[in-house]
Amino acid sequence: MAGKAESLNGTVKSGSNQSGPAAMQASAFKADLSNMISLKSFKLKTKQQELLIRVSILLLVYVLAFITRLFSVLRYESMIHEFDPYFNYRTTLFLTEKGFYEFWNWFDSESWYPLGRIIGGTLYPGLMVTAALIYWLMRFLRFAVHIREVCVLTAPFFASNTTLVAYFFGKEIWDSGAGLVAAALIAICPGYISRSVAGSYDNEGVAIFALLLTFYLFVKAVNTGSLAWSLASAFGYFYMVSAWGGYVFIINLIPLYVLVLLITGRYSMRLYVAYNCMYILGMLLAMQIRFVGFQHVQSGEHMAAMGVFFLIQVFYFLDWVRHALADAKLFEAFLRITVTTAVSFGAIALGVGTASGYISPWTGRFYSLLDPTYAKDHIPIIASVSEHQPTAWSSFMFDFHILLFFFPAGLYFCFKRLSDATIFIVMYGLTSMYFAGVMVRLILVATPAVCLISAIAVSATVKNLAQLVRAKSKAVQSGSSKGTSTAKGSSKGLVDQSQPFQRNGAIVLLLGAFYLLSRYATHCTWVTSEAYSSPSIVLAARGAHGNRVIFDDYREAYYWLRQNTPPDAKVMSWWDYGYQITAMGNRTVIVDNNTWNNTHIATVGRAMSSYEDEAYEIMRSLDVDYVLVVFGGVTGYSSDDINKFLWMVRIGGGVFPVIKEPDYLVNGEYRVDKGAAPKMLNCLMYKLCYYRFGELTTEYGKPPGYDRARGVEIGNKDVKLEYLEEAFTTQNWIVRIYKVKPPKNRW
Amino acid sequence: MAKSTSKDAQDLLRALWSAYSATPTNLKIIDLYVIFAVFTALIQVVYMALVGSFPFNSFLSGVLSCVGTAVLAVCLRIQVNKENKEFKDLAPERAFADFVLCNLVLHLVIMNFLG
Amino acid sequence: MAKLVVFLTLISLLPLLCNSFSDDKPSDRHILVLLDDFAIKSSHSLFFKSLQSRGFDLDFKLADDPKISLQRYGQYLYDGLILFCPTIERFGGSIDAASILDFVDSGHDLIVAADSNASDLIREIATECGVDFDEDPAALVVDHTGYAIAATEGDHTLIAADGFIKSNVLLGSKKIEAPVLFRGIGHSLNPSNSLVLKVLSASPSAYSANPKSKLTSPPSLTGSSISLVSVVQARNNARILISGSISMFSNRFFRSGVQKAGSPTKHDKSGNEQFLTELSKWVFHERGHLKAVNVRHHKVGEVEEPAIYRINDDLEYSVEIYEWSGTSWKPYVADDVQVQFYMMSPYILKTMSTDGKGHFFTSFKVPDVYGVFQFKVEYQRLGYTSLSLSKQIPVRPFRHNEYERFIPAAYPYYGAAFSMMAGFFVFTAVHLYNKPT
Repeated sequence: MAGKAESLNGTVKSGSNQSGPAAMQASAFKADLSNMISLKSFKLKTKQQELLIRVSILLLVYVLAFITRLFSVLRYESMIHEFDPYFNYRTTLFLTEKGFYEFWNWFDSESWYPLGRIIGGTLYPGLMVTAALIYWLMRFLRFAVHIREVCVLTAPFFASNTTLVAYFFGKEIWDSGAGLVAAALIAICPGYISRSVAGSYDNEGVAIFALLLTFYLFVKAVNTGSLAWSLASAFGYFYMVSAWGGYVFIINLIPLYVLVLLITGRYSMRLYVAYNCMYILGMLLAMQIRFVGFQHVQSGEHMAAMGVFFLIQVFYFLDWVRHALADAKLFEAFLRITVTTAVSFGAIALGVGTASGYISPWTGRFYSLLDPTYAKDHIPIIASVSEHQPTAWSSFMFDFHILLFFFPAGLYFCFKRLSDATIFIVMYGLTSMYFAGVMVRLILVATPAVCLISAIAVSATVKNLAQLVRAKSKAVQSGSSKGTSTAKGSSKGLVDQSQPFQRNGAIVLLLGAFYLLSRYATHCTWVTSEAYSSPSIVLAARGAHGNRVIFDDYREAYYWLRQNTPPDAKVMSWWDYGYQITAMGNRTVIVDNNTWNNTHIATVGRAMSSYEDEAYEIMRSLDVDYVLVVFGGVTGYSSDDINKFLWMVRIGGGVFPVIKEPDYLVNGEYRVDKGAAPKMLNCLMYKLCYYRFGELTTEYGKPPGYDRARGVEIGNKDVKLEYLEEAFTTQNWIVRIYKVKPPKNRW
Repeated sequence: MAKSTSKDAQDLLRALWSAYSATPTNLKIIDLYVIFAVFTALIQVVYMALVGSFPFNSFLSGVLSCVGTAVLAVCLRIQVNKENKEFKDLAPERAFADFVLCNLVLHLVIMNFLG
Repeated sequence: MAKLVVFLTLISLLPLLCNSFSDDKPSDRHILVLLDDFAIKSSHSLFFKSLQSRGFDLDFKLADDPKISLQRYGQYLYDGLILFCPTIERFGGSIDAASILDFVDSGHDLIVAADSNASDLIREIATECGVDFDEDPAALVVDHTGYAIAATEGDHTLIAADGFIKSNVLLGSKKIEAPVLFRGIGHSLNPSNSLVLKVLSASPSAYSANPKSKLTSPPSLTGSSISLVSVVQARNNARILISGSISMFSNRFFRSGVQKAGSPTKHDKSGNEQFLTELSKWVFHERGHLKAVNVRHHKVGEVEEPAIYRINDDLEYSVEIYEWSGTSWKPYVADDVQVQFYMMSPYILKTMSTDGKGHFFTSFKVPDVYGVFQFKVEYQRLGYTSLSLSKQIPVRPFRHNEYERFIPAAYPYYGAAFSMMAGFFVFTAVHLYNKPT
């Protein structure tokens, strides 16, 4: 509560009043208390006390943000999770081993065989460079860490840094109390934790830090109008561009914010300085990243920023002219001419650019945010990713908990005290909540806004309530002390009147608020522990006696590949596993998670959905040596290839019309039992997954060949392979590897 | 009607000119600098329209160096102009130091981007 | 003491054992000949002598001898197999159809001769090699216009065949003047098999039927689609000869004269000996066997092989191809050996030039596309071993500092950027030292 002290006039006095009598008592017991450590014995002034409390809170929050993300490291081991982080890890490893110039020019011939991939020009290097810098720094300080540990812990480290930025941002928008609450809320908010646990070495872990930093620096620049802060925000933007493709959000939100300020008439010279410097320098810096290239001047997604840039020049020029001209009528004529020419010129330029194709239209990924039905019809690859589905209310509740209720309250407070900074945070909150509703994965982008706005609500509410609670003691003391001003007396008098109910009510509400916050903390910890701390590469389940059973099949299969296949063997699998195979199995893959070449993926999809002889032709043309499939029928693991199979059919059928989805369905239903479609029962994927499965009894009381993931007995139990032979099946049959036989000798 | 508009235009220009002459010299120097930068940018755009945009990165870096210089100079003018009440607490030395820093960064990035 | 002496003598004889098939000397040396009965050994002695005179070591065994085996402890004991046992139902020892096919699949050669009443086992072996004998066990090839004129009036089952395949590699450079005497069963080639070839086909008037019984329905095998002698060159370059007649190998057919019905010329000697001797030279790799060694590629001007090329690099590729003459390796001379620079489709396809000494080379510019390419030489000519070489090499795009620099078209932009810098310096000087009036 000391954080609220500085904004209430009365309490400074009450603080000193309290220390007066306390000091008198303390002097009597000085000899006894001299050994006890108390804040007052340090003779700290209130401001210093407050600073100490603030710093210690921030420190605790910093440590908390770090350690709450460590569940999976403690339960399993320090390893990289999921799929994408394996690619990031492999590139970071390359960077630390070969140096920056090799990394910048890296052409990888081991993925997307035989097309290869220019990795140096098709990734966002921010994350890798950050981890490499931390690694080199630790090595310089003679800590002999392995790069994998640095990669695993980068995301929690940056989450802690984000809490600091959230504190400063909150202080900028509202006051330091709101900043502290914001830091605490964002430290444990599940929406952010989901993508920044230890082991989730992905772009978002660093990008959210960069996002919030950029926004904070920009708001600071607008508030102070200083070129130095604008330059800092340009560098923050550069860091964001280097880290994540979601920088498009920044380059659209900030112009939108400027536009809103111009329209509502809240503009000032500081805005001009801040936006121009940030836009020009930010754009220049961003174009240094090879992957971004010239998009800032050629892509439709970045045109809003350029449009606002030109608009702001025109706007301020007009403003300057109006200031210079004394006569209003002349100015109006001038205004008319200029505005018409400028608007028409801008419209013509935009029209010509878009029509001629020079300004490329919005890419599918971002267009599907504006039109959510677009991807399902036109781009099956984007629609197939589970993170791109629209968000359900349960997800919102799960990820935000009580913040969902504090968010509208915070909006109310922001509207009550409008300033440049609060307008910004309101816009950020509303736009990010809209996008979070369209795509599950974007809850992450909304989290900082929700935390900040909720923090404003919490902080303002608690401050008001605390004021009411303290008002009684103030009234008592002001009654006993002399020299209070009439204004204060009357205000306290007002408080005195409704004193008993108000104070009790305030105490009850305060307790209620604390209860809600404590429930929030419990919920967040529970969510982190149960839902977001599983490295999806290692699966865990409860055995029959309640003991924990670990399935490490993925790594078993990748290490088998690494040790038992020739070094130039090529592995064909669905694109989900490409990064992991390249990183851990160290073998060339045909397609991987980058999904940049749809035709290549469609070729693999076609091979998986064809009969064995047609698939053999395709595999021979791609020089495939091994085929890897994931099968969950024995363990009941439901994210296996049979459940993803329809997407293979759709993506394959999107490029090769010979693959038709209705062939694999029966009355629109997807089945694998006796009633399944004949093409389904004989396609390559079915054969590879269920080879020899018909002999296996998986569950007591069920016939052999009972698929536990689908819950049915499979239709075709007698699978014979003509062109492939089984090379390896893991312990729980989760990963199965087959070798492609060379063509027949005498035929 | 045309006569009145041309008369209006002449009045407009005369009023602007007289208002502008009242500005202090250092601001006029900055304005000259801005006009120089914008002029260079326009020449480059015309050249690009004639010749084509082959080394696009060179074109962009050339144009953006001009535009960036102009924009930073205008920011400096805003901060140094004594008529702007928002910046009356800002020491002109501080404004100039920020300006120099931003220009340094600008030119370094331009050199990297030039080709 | 005696044991030591025996041991030492055996050790000293060891070098002689290393005289068999090896990559350096592809001609087979040890051949196992399986016979129905030993009478064949003498009735076909000319054929066997021709083999032995060329240095082959023939091991004659009865087909149902219980002690025969092709391999011991995983090592093959022979380099080739001749099956002159058309009526054998079951081989003795450890040999059966599957082991014979494994023998072929591991790179060894095979000669199979069938006859009328060929057993199911021989038919099965032939089917696995892509050759389908007539199903009727009593059928023979009958030709009423192409038969060989004999002293006694026959049933036209002895035919004079001259439908030779046109290939100097298979049949030698000397033309076979006289037709080949043949009496036996015909076969057809399995259409789904792409490796089997007809060496001696029947004339268009031939058909396959039982000569002793009346024809009730049209015969299934007719005309030139009947093959009398076929060869298969497997993908691992093992060679198989399948003949429908064992008597065409006999001394009697070798020595007898032949006159084809309807032709005035009477030849004193049939073409059997020349035909079969030349063909057996081919089957046992004395002709038409190529090896490709020493594949090298490097950038023009350099010597060592790089691990990765860059687009628009100039490179040279060379390979050495030799042909086995029966006794030594001779340089292979041809003008149609091509190399492809291949990534899902050949970006570059060039015919290599040769210096006559077996060295084939060419040079070209790497295409403007990056990826993982292969140097592919796919050389398949009739009768020659197929060369299928491929070497993988990645091709990378330009590094960031390999693009052209100081482009003349961009001088105005350079000028503008530098003029901005100069302007900045001038401006700072003016601004700092400007005294406000």
